[in-house]
Amino acid sequence: MENKEVILSVKNLRQHFPIDGGGLFKKTIGYIRAVDGISFDVYKGETVGIVGESGCGKSTTVRSIAQLYKPTTGQVIFHGVDLCTADKDTLLKERRNIQMIFQDPYASLDPRMTVRNIILEPLRIYNKRNLLDKNYTEEELDEKVKDLMEKVGINKAFVNRYPHEFSGGQRQRIGIARALALNPEIILADEPVSALDVSIQAQILNLISDIQKEMGVTFIFIAHDLGVIQHISHRVIVMYLGKIMEISSSDELYSNPLHPYTQALLSAAPIPDPKLERTRQRIVLEGDVPSPDKERHCCYFYDRCSKRMDKCACAVPPMFDCGNNHHVACFLYDDKPVAEPADDTPTEGELKLRKKTENKAEN
Amino acid sequence: MALFRKKEIATNEFNQVIVGTSLTKEAWKRLKKNKLAVVGGVIVIIYTLIALCASLLPIYPYDEAITVHRNLRPSLTKTAGDLMLEQEMKNLFFQAWRQGRLELSDEEDAQIEAWVMESKTNQVWDLVYARGMEALEAGSFEWNSSEQSRIDRMLNNIETETQITIDKVSVVYEGKTMNIEDMSYEELRGLYASLLGVDENTLEESLVNEVRSAVSNELRSKDSTLSGEDLDSSVEMEMDALGEDGIHDRASTNIIGYIEQIAQRSANSDIQAMIDSGSMTFPYEGTFDLSNGLHVELEVTKMHERRYIFGTDYLGRDLLSRIIYGSQVSIAVGIVGTVTSIFIGILVGSLAGYLGGKVDYYLMRFVDIMYGLPYMLLVIICMAIFGRQIVNLFFALALVSWLTIARMVRGQIMSLKNQEYVEAARSMGAGTMHIIFKHMIPNSLSIIIVYSTIRIPAFIMQESFLSFLGLGVQAPYASWGSLIGDAVSSMALYPYKLIIPSIVMVIFLFSMNFLGDGLRDAFDPQTKNQL
Ligand SMILES: Nc1ncnc2c1ncn2[C@@H]1O[C@H](COP(=O)(O)OP(=O)(O)O)[C@@H](O)[C@H]1O
Ligand code: SF4
Ligand SMILES: [Mg+2]
Repeated sequence: MENKEVILSVKNLRQHFPIDGGGLFKKTIGYIRAVDGISFDVYKGETVGIVGESGCGKSTTVRSIAQLYKPTTGQVIFHGVDLCTADKDTLLKERRNIQMIFQDPYASLDPRMTVRNIILEPLRIYNKRNLLDKNYTEEELDEKVKDLMEKVGINKAFVNRYPHEFSGGQRQRIGIARALALNPEIILADEPVSALDVSIQAQILNLISDIQKEMGVTFIFIAHDLGVIQHISHRVIVMYLGKIMEISSSDELYSNPLHPYTQALLSAAPIPDPKLERTRQRIVLEGDVPSPDKERHCCYFYDRCSKRMDKCACAVPPMFDCGNNHHVACFLYDDKPVAEPADDTPTEGELKLRKKTENKAEN
Repeated sequence: MALFRKKEIATNEFNQVIVGTSLTKEAWKRLKKNKLAVVGGVIVIIYTLIALCASLLPIYPYDEAITVHRNLRPSLTKTAGDLMLEQEMKNLFFQAWRQGRLELSDEEDAQIEAWVMESKTNQVWDLVYARGMEALEAGSFEWNSSEQSRIDRMLNNIETETQITIDKVSVVYEGKTMNIEDMSYEELRGLYASLLGVDENTLEESLVNEVRSAVSNELRSKDSTLSGEDLDSSVEMEMDALGEDGIHDRASTNIIGYIEQIAQRSANSDIQAMIDSGSMTFPYEGTFDLSNGLHVELEVTKMHERRYIFGTDYLGRDLLSRIIYGSQVSIAVGIVGTVTSIFIGILVGSLAGYLGGKVDYYLMRFVDIMYGLPYMLLVIICMAIFGRQIVNLFFALALVSWLTIARMVRGQIMSLKNQEYVEAARSMGAGTMHIIFKHMIPNSLSIIIVYSTIRIPAFIMQESFLSFLGLGVQAPYASWGSLIGDAVSSMALYPYKLIIPSIVMVIFLFSMNFLGDGLRDAFDPQTKNQL
């Protein structure tokens, strides 16, 4: 892995959403820490899976990477350019190489556009700004649409149909064709199969791995289904409450989960072998994911961890390097070298807020 | 031929481009299945066409009042003369019954007394007329001499009275034949002065004075408290605002009217002579060359041969024509009001929805405050301040009715803003304008169309309400509401004046509502029974 080229590097990314209070002027009274300081690298040509319960910030992570939100702090370095601070033109130029596939195949296609216009939308946008290798004419665009439709397996005859005339799987294929239209280097797929039937899930997953093999596209792939992730990804990131708990290669993670959260997740997944399934030990996670709206200076998993210790309540665990490219954020492994120190300094907005409340308390 | 050629290429999956059905197309299909909505749509179209083509239709002018034709009931078969005579005879029979010359049975006498007590005049007239005619036929009743002479006079009038409509007056002026409507102010003034035989300068003075007094009257009718020096100074201000050209324009209009009157008066004797000699057939169209140098093209019709299928109003104006011109006003109020309010609503709503944050907050609080104010009161105040003109009515209504649409558009834009396909577009680097014009507007259009069709009847109702109160359109213009409002005072005596405009209006409102409902169901099948 080391010899591979890093294509995207996320450094201490935070995405905090302000919470508006009621009242006449809608003051900010706190922040939702949807993503709270995560760092990871993505290598060229691989698929990185992100797993975690829903609400743990997976979608927010990819949306911040795609610059749909302006990240609160941190860097998203792509081709040596920090997208968070890049100016508009650079961002536009670089963004071309980062495309998204969305979760809901019904909501992600404009119901009033034909398939042709949907697939061509990104091409047209970039064509108009002269940011493509050349200026495409309508005929060339037509060719392009047909190519793309063939690539994702939709009958070319359907170019003038509307999204509502397709099934969920076909719509997702259209979404994939749209993501491929600009020949991106990296595709961010936000749970692309979780809204589909199981039989169709497999087809779409196969399509994605075919595309990856054929075109060498890098994928960041979100799923809350561990089976899907194992099937498709080379490396896996386990997230909880906006933090990364564990990063490792896919095989390593499934054979040797280290973090108590990962262990709980894996133990909850059914095993397709009835004998093993009967003997499966389940670690039951109690309660729901807590609300990410307050500062934490302890292990983010502390409330629900079955192996929690006293020191877990005192500090945020750093990333420990357990060898074999396996990193874990858990004090159970504090004999291992630290790969990356924890950073729990509050953001500017939070500091301001804190000052205000202190002032109020004094008065 | 083209049909056959098409078939030469075999159609199959590989060369055929399958045309998709867009949501709009599907909505259209659904709408066509909805019988009620289609009928509603057809009726709305017919109404609109009639209103648009009002000036081309063979109807009497809506502001032409023929005094002797006051309050004629609607009739398909009888001419105005027949109805006048009938009404006259009803009155005479009733007097005769009072005097005891027309004898009825005891029960009928009692019945009439009861009706008179309850002021059911129509029933009394009908009964007396029916019995009177029977008695006349049977010979048991005869008119006395004064009654007979009244009837004879009326019959004679009906036979002989004519109406003259002037189409065109022209004059030979400096060697050319000119239509007086095309003449300049100076030419008209010269012509008029020569016709009257007065000096042009004195004429000029009196013409300007005439305009001044007209202006003064207008000002006073707008604000009845104006008087004395205030009035004088505002009249002078108004005159200054008109300027020389404006004053001359108004004076020209006056002169044309006077010259037409002169032409008609001079032509009258010729026409009378033709009628007396029996050489005139009706309706007569002809040109008269008058001794004073005017040439007048006119039309002579027998006044009492008119037919009023919807009857006439209290000034003798044709109700049918007033209803048609009234629908012009009412439908225009509906459409213009809706368009204006939708325009403002979309602007405010999309700004608030798209920008969000503080802008959204303050705009919406403003909308909330406006909501809290009494709506009709605002319109009434607007009308009072800016004058009771139709244009002001449009704007007064539109200004206070964009609130709902602004809220609706804001909601729609906010929900669209978070749609995944809008996010997808943003992730592709689409700009704000691209997103608004390619995604947001096409996706909110259907709901806006639906809402507009539902708004139009509401506007018409509001306009009618205002006109009913006397705050809407002013005479001689009419609208459905003002027609109904005028009819209310004489509701018992002439119910048709109230019923006919009401039915016309109700049919339109029903159709519009059915159409709106149909459109909503068609565009948005899920939200059936909502909104
Ligand atoms: N635009 C937003 N504004 C405020 N809070 C948000 C926004 N997007 C997501 N969140 C919150 O951030 C958290 C993480 O959400 P998300 O990234 O969608 O989780 P996941 O995709 O893992 O299910 C949730 O608590 C969610 O409520
Ligand atoms: S650090 Fe402590 S609380 Fe957190 S996961 Fe590890 S053992 Fe559990
Ligand atoms: Mg998600």
